[in-house]
Amino acid sequence: MASVRRSLLGGVAVVALATVASSAMAQAGNEWPTYGGDKSNTRFSTLDQINTGNVKDLKVVWMHSLGSNDSQESTPIIVGDTMYVTSSTGPKYVFALNARTGEKIWTYQPELPGDYMSTVCCGLDNRGVAVANGMVFFGRLDAKLEALDAKTGKHLWTKTVADYRKGYAITSAPLIVKDMVITGMAGGEYGVRGFVSAYKQSTGELVWKTYTIPGEGEPENDTWKGDSWKTGGGSTWGVGAYDAGRNLVYWSTSNAGPWGASTRGNDSSDIGPYSNKWTSSQLAFDADTGKIVWGYQYTPHDTWDYDGINEAVLTELSLGGQKVPVMMHADRNGFFYVLNRETGKLLAADPFVTVNWASHVDLQTGRPVEAPNNEKRPQLGKWARNVCPNLIGGKNWSPMSYSPQTGLVYLPAFNMCMDIKNREEEYSPGKFYLASEFDLGMAGASGSNLAEFIAWDPVAMKKAWSIPEDYMWASGAMTTAGGLVFYGNLEGKFKAVNAKTGEVLWQFNVGTGITQSAVSYSIDGKQYIAVTAGRLKGPPSFFGKLGQKMMAVSPEGGVLVVFAL
Amino acid sequence: MKPNNKVWKQMGVLVLAFATLAPAWGGEDESGPVNPYSGDKAVAKEGAELFNQYCSHCHGPWAEQGERVRDLRRLRIRYGDYATETFWTTVHKGRMEKGMPVWGGVLSDDVLWRIYTFLETVQTEE
Repeated sequence: MASVRRSLLGGVAVVALATVASSAMAQAGNEWPTYGGDKSNTRFSTLDQINTGNVKDLKVVWMHSLGSNDSQESTPIIVGDTMYVTSSTGPKYVFALNARTGEKIWTYQPELPGDYMSTVCCGLDNRGVAVANGMVFFGRLDAKLEALDAKTGKHLWTKTVADYRKGYAITSAPLIVKDMVITGMAGGEYGVRGFVSAYKQSTGELVWKTYTIPGEGEPENDTWKGDSWKTGGGSTWGVGAYDAGRNLVYWSTSNAGPWGASTRGNDSSDIGPYSNKWTSSQLAFDADTGKIVWGYQYTPHDTWDYDGINEAVLTELSLGGQKVPVMMHADRNGFFYVLNRETGKLLAADPFVTVNWASHVDLQTGRPVEAPNNEKRPQLGKWARNVCPNLIGGKNWSPMSYSPQTGLVYLPAFNMCMDIKNREEEYSPGKFYLASEFDLGMAGASGSNLAEFIAWDPVAMKKAWSIPEDYMWASGAMTTAGGLVFYGNLEGKFKAVNAKTGEVLWQFNVGTGITQSAVSYSIDGKQYIAVTAGRLKGPPSFFGKLGQKMMAVSPEGGVLVVFAL
Repeated sequence: MKPNNKVWKQMGVLVLAFATLAPAWGGEDESGPVNPYSGDKAVAKEGAELFNQYCSHCHGPWAEQGERVRDLRRLRIRYGDYATETFWTTVHKGRMEKGMPVWGGVLSDDVLWRIYTFLETVQTEE
């Protein structure tokens, strides 16, 4: 707490102390203090007023327009009786609302240059804010990090994290660790070099910045051919996790850049030294120094856009009679991973969707065993046909949830394949750098449903139950102590499901597609459920015929809907 | 953006005058850009691959696209006589505030014409 700057915070310091104390809770309860519910990203709420017995009586209590029409991906943050939520397109707005009624406390409009839109690859989204010590922090699509006064919405500072004109952007909420605010960045489709950076909350001063791709003379730099590391991708556009006991910050990294691998290494399953670290990887950083403590690579020498940024969910699992500190991660490449989060050792990896690019992950070497003869690996000028999963992955960014009540992980999965080929391409700053050609307009790997909401047993490493969804995509998940899991779909159906059995107990049509997870909070003894909705536009734009079907399912929009009994 | 009547009339006369000569849609006036590959099937095939490499991430593989404003199969019905000129201006100068990057100086005019030759083959009527 010594870090609280009274000069800046003045009278709100006392409030800030209370906020920090409650934010340190292991799980989300009355508040939803951070993006993943807690810094372990479990998205489990301890509230149980709304439960399997009464969820059928859930009703809308208030709504709020988000004021923009691009993909709505914001997780509302609730601290005390205030909700902080962002809209897409920049963000266009940051709102502070009375969480009981939706009444406006303040609205902030960040000033963004219009041309940032031409250097954001996949949708003009924003996934929300972080709140700490009386301040609100958020990243912007022009690669800036901004801080506001939580009470008034007054601007405190703006920091340039990177040059958006070269393809850098920030889409996800930052992570609060001690007196720092830590952010990742996007740009893996623009030949950026990925990093994670930490700033002082009070001033915006840089504390540390660690590149995910090691520079010349650093360990693992020789996993890159020539100078390819300079434009090698490995962005960090997802969210971090924090283990306070071990003082470790976890972030994972995107695809290698460009997607076509011929300039980065052997362009073959016979990778040789060119694994391209640390792209498509999980990294653990020392929270104070940013030093990389360990790394594990999900997809060595990636060329499928098996971007590894999906969230790490931290918990303890009983494995072989022992309580093990683990992180769980459902990767784009189709494997569900369990790692020891202290050491980075791979404990288990099994496919949660149809996977044919690799037969399995070798638990001794930690490496995937690719299909023989480069059959499923695109190469320069050579198509790989019917590769599963496709580049949107077995799962994408929409977050999963872990319920300690059921011991299950709930995740939105995709059931799709692709054709993909590598091409030659010159790097040009601020332009797509893919060196790839792909066709995603094909039917699912198994069954005609394009998505699936899965309950996954992370000990037995198999599905407990699943609900097929006709269209990609299913939204992220939230579990509660009321025995429920909530999720939505592209049609705008928001559902409450019995977390044990998979029985749909209640649903409500919000009128536009849902991609982000819902949240829950409680004020004056009343439990609320809140969800943002607004059908995504980015991915359907490159899905050909399937994309056209997706866009026809529901119109774009921007709405926050809050429910209670 | 609304052209004055005089320009419309001139364009109309030109379109009438060249209607029987024009090898493809577009109806450029004499000073406008002219696609040297118009109607060349081999170039269109190559253009499709180039399109899928450089444009499909926003405009869809094979130009199949559900978001109306990004649907390049509608250039003809949207821009009519100005379609070629609009294409040429847009790819060269970008529409940064709508998300379209500047491709002038990045992709050669030859590559851009090959891409356009493909687009000419997928124009829709409705």
